[in-house]
Amino acid sequence: MGIISVENTDRLYWLGRYTERVYSTIKIFEARFDSMIDVDDEEYVAFCESQDIPNVYKSKEDFSRRYCFSLEDENSIFSNLMRAYDNAIVIREEIGSDTLSYIQLAVYAMNQAAISKAPLIGLQKVTDNIAAFWGMADDAIDESSIRNMIRVGKLVERIDLYARLKEPSEKIRREARRLANRIDKSTMRYSPKTLAHVNYLVQLDELPYETLIESVEKLVGDRM
Amino acid sequence: MISYTDIFGKNKRVEEMELYVGAGDVNEQLARYGVKFGIYKNNEFKEQLFPFDMIPRVIDSKEFGYLEKGLKQRVTALNLFIEDIYGEKRIVKDGIVPEEFIYAGSGYLSQCEGIRPPKGIYSHISGIDLVQGKDGEWYILEDNLRIPSGASYPMIAREISRRSAPDLFTGKHIEDNRNYAQLLRKTMDHVNVGGHTVILTPGRYNAAYFEHSYLAEKTGAHLVSGSELIVENDHLYFIDYSGRKERVGAVYRRISDEYLDPMNFNRESVIGIPHIFDIYRKGNVALINAPGNGVADDKGIYYFVPKMISYYLGEEPILSNAPTYLPYYEEDMKYVMEHFDDLVLKDVAEAGGYGVVFGNKMTAEEKAKFKEMLKAEPRRFIAQEIIDFLDIDILEKGELLPRKADLRAFVLMAEEPMVWKSGLTRFSRNPDSFIVNSSQGGGFKDTWVLSQ
Repeated sequence: MGIISVENTDRLYWLGRYTERVYSTIKIFEARFDSMIDVDDEEYVAFCESQDIPNVYKSKEDFSRRYCFSLEDENSIFSNLMRAYDNAIVIREEIGSDTLSYIQLAVYAMNQAAISKAPLIGLQKVTDNIAAFWGMADDAIDESSIRNMIRVGKLVERIDLYARLKEPSEKIRREARRLANRIDKSTMRYSPKTLAHVNYLVQLDELPYETLIESVEKLVGDRM
Repeated sequence: MISYTDIFGKNKRVEEMELYVGAGDVNEQLARYGVKFGIYKNNEFKEQLFPFDMIPRVIDSKEFGYLEKGLKQRVTALNLFIEDIYGEKRIVKDGIVPEEFIYAGSGYLSQCEGIRPPKGIYSHISGIDLVQGKDGEWYILEDNLRIPSGASYPMIAREISRRSAPDLFTGKHIEDNRNYAQLLRKTMDHVNVGGHTVILTPGRYNAAYFEHSYLAEKTGAHLVSGSELIVENDHLYFIDYSGRKERVGAVYRRISDEYLDPMNFNRESVIGIPHIFDIYRKGNVALINAPGNGVADDKGIYYFVPKMISYYLGEEPILSNAPTYLPYYEEDMKYVMEHFDDLVLKDVAEAGGYGVVFGNKMTAEEKAKFKEMLKAEPRRFIAQEIIDFLDIDILEKGELLPRKADLRAFVLMAEEPMVWKSGLTRFSRNPDSFIVNSSQGGGFKDTWVLSQ
């Protein structure tokens, strides 16, 4: 493996986490939006609670606009996309211009979606570009540890998100298995003890979601 | 002199160019790859796309051969000048350059006295700005020997243009400019004293950050920030993710002298590397370009470059300076006062198109005030004849519009000087302006050098 700094390993990990966060929250938003059309106007309230997001929104329309597109709302999907961009833009030489371009395209697509009369169709282009970014990262980045750092970030984020949404344990167990397979290949520093704990938690019949979130957040990085 | 109409044919030039735009929208592609530059407006950082005009500047092989010869001569003399100034100072002792122009300029660094960098190269990458007059004559406008930027833009524009409009390039015999990364790598490797080669960036909020990261990717050098490098036991090391230290032998630093080393220059710098200058002095790392080069690209020193060429090389300068006057000399001061309206005045301490005023654009009151300032600080300004630039067409909304443009040529120094067979052509988007700098809203073109 070529030389890589601790800052850049951190950026690759967070690039994985934020791209996953954007991708998954768009998918979740699409489902909630559908329900808000003619079933439950207040669907977003439960969503904010599940995500630990303060409900600062005045209505479903306000939520749909600000949660998706406001850069002043630090919890918005766009803010998270910009965090992915901020991490990606400084590691061009690690991931390559072609791979990086899909994050840039996702940002342009988000800007377009924000002014579109059909934001859901616009957001689809954002997820298309993120999916292309992941595919390109897998295909074009030679260094397997770099690919795996992004993947570890993705899987940690996914477990975190699924736990917040109280998804079925089998679904979370599957992601935990994939994480265990990847993390050593990433050559990142992580806590084996915490990984063992995560694996123990996901096997329990009654999944302790809160404890799992706490644990997975401590697996790598500063909070290890 | 060659025009793009010679390449595309007079009758279908616009149609062909529009086809080129329609074929893939090059600007959209440049946006995709994040081809941007940063500017600060009202203390806020903004990233802007650098507008690209698809009509290239075309230079034929013979004309470029002449430029190449002149550029090599000029950069060779400038390197000898820097070596002399931080060494024997023969040119000052022999009365060719007055010492005020050396020591009073902000580019001179006393810390560099007596230092000879690896392989004796000071200006590894030189950006020489030229304009072509309506008479076809090329004039040097400025030498940039500190951290000249801009090569990445025509490099990536060429890559994208070839994809967007392949037919346009077929059978045209254009020198491939995508070899800039190889030339740069060769330049860096030539002076590397052992270890990795890195590109040191002040960070993503620097105006040229795109270029830093793109050149790192294309040369295979590591893009680093100051916090990732450390001086220990008289050597420079990169600290990797596991805490392991890897030796670094060459640093292409995109940080100005002032911020390079807080122990030797600006103490408040947080982007530099403490003691890097000490180990550079000992020959344990190559710094590209060498600190202290500003002594040779000061606007005041520019006047003396033709004299340097004769002095060091015993040759007549191949390329001409724009006719320049130094109000420092009594005779020139008199000329400047008498021909004020015909001249452009430049503050020697400014760059990027700032500190440039045209005599004929001032009110009577402004003129009087400026003349007083000139008398009080004659060393601060140079005056130049306004060159009647050759306009170059740009394509805007289906129309061909003439605009002022310059050319930044790049000369890289390894075993010998190498002139990149391309360059950054910058143009003014404002029809009434001569100022082409990107920071002032200018755009850019690719520069095609024909191989036959």
